[in-house]
Amino acid sequence: MMRRTLKIATLLAPFLAMACWVMNQVIAAEIQRDANVTINNEALISTSQEKVVKLYGAGGVKGLESYQSGVIIDDQGHILTSWSTVLDVPKVRVVTFDGRRLDATMVGVDPQNELAVLKIEDAGLVGFDLTNPAAASTGQRVFAISNLFGIAAGNESCSAQKGVIMATTPLTTRRGKIKSLYQGKVYVLDVVTNNPGASGGALIDLQGRLIGVIGKEIRDEQAGVWINYALPIEVAKASIDRILSGTSGSSDAELKSVAQPHLVNSLGLTLIPDVLAKTPPFIDKVREGSTADKSGLQTNDLVLLLNDQRVDSRKSLEKMLSTINREDSFYLLVQRGQELIRIHVRP
Amino acid sequence: MEATKTQTLRRTSRYRMDWIIQARSLSGRYWIPANPVLASAAFARTVFAFRLSAVAMLIVSALGPSFVSKGHSQSAPEVSPAVLEAQQLRIQAMKQASLATVAVYGTDGQGGGSGVCISPDGYVLTNFHVSSPFGHRMRCGLNDGKMYESIVTGVDPTGDLAVLKMVGRDDFPSASIGNSDDVRIGQWCFAAGNPFVLATNLQPTVTYGLISGVRRYQYPSNTILEYSDCIQTDAAINPGNSGGPLFNMRGELIGINGRCSFEKRGRVNVGVGYAISIKQAMNFLWQLKSGRVVDHATLGFTVATDTKGKVSVSNILESSDAYRRGIRFGDEILRLGDRDVATTNQLKNILGIFPDQWRIPIRFRNDDETIDTYVRLQSLHLPSELEEIIKGEAAQRQQPPVPKKPSAEEPIPDEKEKALQAQVVLKADPLEGLYAEKRGFSNYYFNRLQLDRILALQVQDGKWNDSSESWRIVGEVPKEQLAIEMLLNDEALTFRMQDKSETVHPRQGWPASIKQRASMGVAMGMRLWQEWHRRGPRLMGDAVYLGRNPVVGREDLFDVTRITVSDFDTLVYTSPKNGQIELIEIFADGQSDPVELYFEKYEPVQGRLTPKLLRLSYGLETKFLVAIDLFETTSPAGGQGL
Repeated sequence: MMRRTLKIATLLAPFLAMACWVMNQVIAAEIQRDANVTINNEALISTSQEKVVKLYGAGGVKGLESYQSGVIIDDQGHILTSWSTVLDVPKVRVVTFDGRRLDATMVGVDPQNELAVLKIEDAGLVGFDLTNPAAASTGQRVFAISNLFGIAAGNESCSAQKGVIMATTPLTTRRGKIKSLYQGKVYVLDVVTNNPGASGGALIDLQGRLIGVIGKEIRDEQAGVWINYALPIEVAKASIDRILSGTSGSSDAELKSVAQPHLVNSLGLTLIPDVLAKTPPFIDKVREGSTADKSGLQTNDLVLLLNDQRVDSRKSLEKMLSTINREDSFYLLVQRGQELIRIHVRP
Repeated sequence: MEATKTQTLRRTSRYRMDWIIQARSLSGRYWIPANPVLASAAFARTVFAFRLSAVAMLIVSALGPSFVSKGHSQSAPEVSPAVLEAQQLRIQAMKQASLATVAVYGTDGQGGGSGVCISPDGYVLTNFHVSSPFGHRMRCGLNDGKMYESIVTGVDPTGDLAVLKMVGRDDFPSASIGNSDDVRIGQWCFAAGNPFVLATNLQPTVTYGLISGVRRYQYPSNTILEYSDCIQTDAAINPGNSGGPLFNMRGELIGINGRCSFEKRGRVNVGVGYAISIKQAMNFLWQLKSGRVVDHATLGFTVATDTKGKVSVSNILESSDAYRRGIRFGDEILRLGDRDVATTNQLKNILGIFPDQWRIPIRFRNDDETIDTYVRLQSLHLPSELEEIIKGEAAQRQQPPVPKKPSAEEPIPDEKEKALQAQVVLKADPLEGLYAEKRGFSNYYFNRLQLDRILALQVQDGKWNDSSESWRIVGEVPKEQLAIEMLLNDEALTFRMQDKSETVHPRQGWPASIKQRASMGVAMGMRLWQEWHRRGPRLMGDAVYLGRNPVVGREDLFDVTRITVSDFDTLVYTSPKNGQIELIEIFADGQSDPVELYFEKYEPVQGRLTPKLLRLSYGLETKFLVAIDLFETTSPAGGQGL
């Protein structure tokens, strides 16, 4: 009996010790900081809330929200947010902390990090200063600010949550299905930040510096676990730099057509009729035995990426296909239900 | 051996020991008593061994940072006294707050939710959705490990609040009430309660968090439960926490936890919980103590936000008080209840924290000017609608909100316990006589209790029950120096101003005069004042205690009793301190302004507190003041006015 309990105790001991150590680190870190700066949470959070915006766009069906959060990243009106279906509209509606409703244009996307940059004109907004991105480490206390569940509307403040960075780790999933395109480094949080509408929100440290961007909702299909995480600021910064320097994103104009390109029809695909300015490239039918069929494309798949380039409409898919030689293979990223699936299309 | 240990474990949890550490291992849940005296020797040894290893680990880990962070000082980091002090304050606040936290169960110990005790006589605030499945009786568990028989007092189905009364003590630990208007995003807070009905030892679970949002408005979702002006927190609030308290870090009560945002992750906390502000709860407290099914309010008009962000009246009832105060279609609403209105949500937020019948300040702007006035709030529901809701809830009584826990975790009562339970059954029902059924009430007993209270408040020199039935009151309107005489008796009510005299029936037929805003209102008010003092409200008509309402121009709230006399209703506002009448309102109908007779000044005359200065108003316009010179309570010869 005693042995059994001891065994449990020995089993638990390392966990306990680890927990104590983490706590110590947290306390030690806090004391160090407290010595230098006296921080008022209320002021800190309210200042940061002014740098987080509510975004509204496409969605509202089949569990896809039509809203998310965004972070103002400079004083020129640039907004960093998650690249999601919410942005599949000609103009994304931005609602600022003071209730102003503004239209944003898409500057570009970084498919690899699933981030996008939007821009609003002449709104006189002040953003986070990213010239010297703040480093963050495991065990550090953080605040998350986002419009999760779309609770805040108009001039109401985005929601604030507290947490601790539990781990700094790559977001690779060894087991279960991969649902995230982004596989790089993330901060795993001990607080349920990644709720509907929260992605694109800010993760800040106790000095009010932006240290991360809240990621999309991810669930491990097999374990049923939802992960709460944020993309570190250096990852976000790399995306911002790429997007703002124009090396990423899609610009249909620059694409050059080839003589013998892929055609939607010859691949065996029927897309849904092009009725909108930006009709989402949903697959309506896949011809049996066709290239598309053999590659694994299915009815109702939504094409998001073609060779890592954003496909924002049916027109742009057709245009982008016209630049690929009929003999060449290419990659598609499709959304099937709530899953993202990468498909290699081989002629 | 195995059985003994299990039983010891169960028994210790049953005995609600002071310190019980709940540890989770990979295989299940273990209760670890820290007081080895009650546990068997073998168990104590294992516990000791465990604790020893834990202590060792703690020491190692405490030293840890000094080994790891070589760059810093060589010794263990000194914890700053300020941090230790803050920690002590937090421990104290949580300890105090836990004492007042209540675990709510059905009479059979099933189901469960939370509540908080707010007064030493055992009044408990909880959610309507917690109390409603249990009917009118339930049991409340306190931190001392004892269960107290409890009865429902009043319910607010719209605002999701209920007040219960615990019996058995007059020194229940109660929470100190904070100010939810001072709550700001970014402040720390903690929730206490009974999440997942974990508190088998009746000790609350405390969860710590941040204020995530304030003044949130949450639409009714599939029900009429509307959360307005609520506090949002990331402190874990789970099923079972409902009705429990949210405290600030000083341990002051700032809200009643009641709702969470759930979506695809099942009914567990996802970082978003909502608490009804304590301000709203306090506004409704006395209405709830009245034993009524209380209602929320409408303004009598609706608003819409236009493209420029102006909140303006989109529809208005011509019979409403708001219309009589001059509010018209298209007018912009600037302030309500002393708060700015910039959006429709804000207006709903403000409105949601007030009970019906309250008069609250409003500022609006029409084409010409900005006007500050007061608006009397109308009931949101018809009485029949509220009845339907209560009936609907009663129908669900067979399904308590939280299912019975698996029997493996059910404490097994030992022989002594069984004997104790048997004793409880044999004893007289402690709730005997504390419940009375009546339409429109959740427990009419408490309405009688409150009416008794305000009548008992009347000080000795304010009693008139032995006075004669015929009163003669003489005075004047000081401004215009108009002579006034009133004759009040059971045959007639006569009012004379200068040489103009008028007589009406002493108990009916008043509405016509009221609609004409007659000066006679003074005599009508005085007649009701006389009846209240001589015969008491219960003999005047159907008397119902409503709760506490504000009076325009006064800081405090006043006890309000509504009496349906004959063809009119009257509201009598009395002071909670001495039971003195402050204001009498007489309503002809719902469509016109009532008589408002304010009793501005009392003075002792021949050993009795007598009104000296009266003020008659209709709407908010003062018609005139009356200074009283003579107050005769003996029947004058001749009996005029017959």
